[in-house]
Amino acid sequence: MSSLLETKGLTHVYGEGTPFEKKALDEVSITFEQGDLVGIIGHTGSGKSTFIQHLNGLLKPTAGQVLLHGNDIWANPKQIRDIRFKVGMVFQYPEYQLFEETVYKDIAFGPKNMGISEDEIEQRVKKAASIVHLKEDLLQKSPFELSGGEKRRAAIAGVMAMEPEVFILDEPTAGLDPKGRNQILDQICAYREEQNSTVLFVSHSMEDIAKVAKKVLVMHKGKVAMYGQTYEVFSQVDKLEQMGLTVPAVTKIFTGLKKRGFDLGQNAYTIEQAADVLLPFLQRGGTVHD
Amino acid sequence: MINGIALGQYFPGQSVMHKMDPRIKLINTFIFIIAVFIPQSWAGLLMVILFVLFSINCSKIPGKTILKSFKPIIPIILITSLINVFYTQSGTILWKWWIFTISTGGLNKAGFMAVRILCLIVGSSLMTYTTTPTALTDGMERVFSPLKVFHVHVHELAMMMTIALRFIPTLIEETDKIMSAQKARGADMESGGLSQRIKAFIPVLIPLFVSSFRRAYELATAMECRCYHGGEGRTRMKQLKMQGRDYSAIAVMTVFVGLLIASLFVVPPVL
Repeated sequence: MSSLLETKGLTHVYGEGTPFEKKALDEVSITFEQGDLVGIIGHTGSGKSTFIQHLNGLLKPTAGQVLLHGNDIWANPKQIRDIRFKVGMVFQYPEYQLFEETVYKDIAFGPKNMGISEDEIEQRVKKAASIVHLKEDLLQKSPFELSGGEKRRAAIAGVMAMEPEVFILDEPTAGLDPKGRNQILDQICAYREEQNSTVLFVSHSMEDIAKVAKKVLVMHKGKVAMYGQTYEVFSQVDKLEQMGLTVPAVTKIFTGLKKRGFDLGQNAYTIEQAADVLLPFLQRGGTVHD
Repeated sequence: MINGIALGQYFPGQSVMHKMDPRIKLINTFIFIIAVFIPQSWAGLLMVILFVLFSINCSKIPGKTILKSFKPIIPIILITSLINVFYTQSGTILWKWWIFTISTGGLNKAGFMAVRILCLIVGSSLMTYTTTPTALTDGMERVFSPLKVFHVHVHELAMMMTIALRFIPTLIEETDKIMSAQKARGADMESGGLSQRIKAFIPVLIPLFVSSFRRAYELATAMECRCYHGGEGRTRMKQLKMQGRDYSAIAVMTVFVGLLIASLFVVPPVL
């Protein structure tokens, strides 16, 4: 059986043949399975954004392939729009793409382009709005009257309403306060459970990644530097720091404890895990093993 | 698609022409544009061609890039050539049909005009190739500063141009982003009739307008925070200073124009 989404030797060169030529992606081969929840991290300019824009056919590879259900998405360039409905993508600061007269119409823009019936559009818009907790009376307002956080959620709902199989988000929490961040992350997870879809999201916040992602993809200089379970990736502190990245603050504390002779046997990357490990340890009176 | 537009087609380099004072480049380009229309004979035009080739050599811009700048003007050249071919009737007549006549004189003139336009475009585009937009407006501000006597707000105009130029790449980037975002939601901007295509741009234009206004407000605030209050008493970080190469450029230009004018008296006009 073929994987859900796969790239083979994906390479992208910007401005080929000009003095500004830059290789943004270098032979990226990676596989995402149905139901994956992947956090993508990498230094600025590591090729994350370029990479995700290939997955729904917004950028065409210079070399290599993107396979959805084992089929090359560029096999028939005229069908590329259909790919974009299956692989939904939310850009950075998506609130700047709102344009319709009402929030309802804006969320309906995607489904409308899919050519589905009015009834189904309404159903989908309401469903997406409820996932991101936009109240019904807001739907008839102009998107420009909403608050920053509401705008962001409305824009995300606009992509959710297309009900894509793969849901990609580029820094969905950038510029939000902690409460807003958590809300959006929870809503993304809620969407994933509801649709049983695959979610990829780019983030600079290791805490967000640790909280939500099951797997982590680390990009560095246009290549895949690491790809694995979250705990595996976050256990390689030195390697991450070499790439200008970091690990969640909690993980840093655990590494520090280990250096000082308190080997707790296991690592933690969220506050909850840390509590689970530290509490018994403290109850034992601070000894490493019984 | 949008990257194909050559905007402020600056081509980075370290050549003599890149380092030249933008004021001199501006003035020389202006003189050159007039000078191209001086010669009335192929001999004179040959001098212009040689001068352009010499300038290209000084700028170290690859020939391929120069050739690319021809592309948008090909239709203009074709149209003017056609008009010239059919409007000029002198010499021997080669072909005649209904009201259309092709004569040797017409062909001669059409060729002459075509070469002239090509020289004009290449010569003047060398300036934009070798000068960054900011250096260019800087030079303009200085060249036009005598107009202050007539209460022309030279500094403010130059500042507006600098800001406009500065924001072109930003806006292009923004347009690209919004277009990608709308395409990701299934917007179709590449097919359909004209009215459909214009409609398809609404989802791009509205967010673009909104963000342009936002940026304008932000920039105005940022400028005021840094105490910007117009050109009065404003000093510059980069002082323009004439160097040896700039004086040589003036000298070369003077000799070139002198030769062109002399050719008018020596060689009989072609047309």
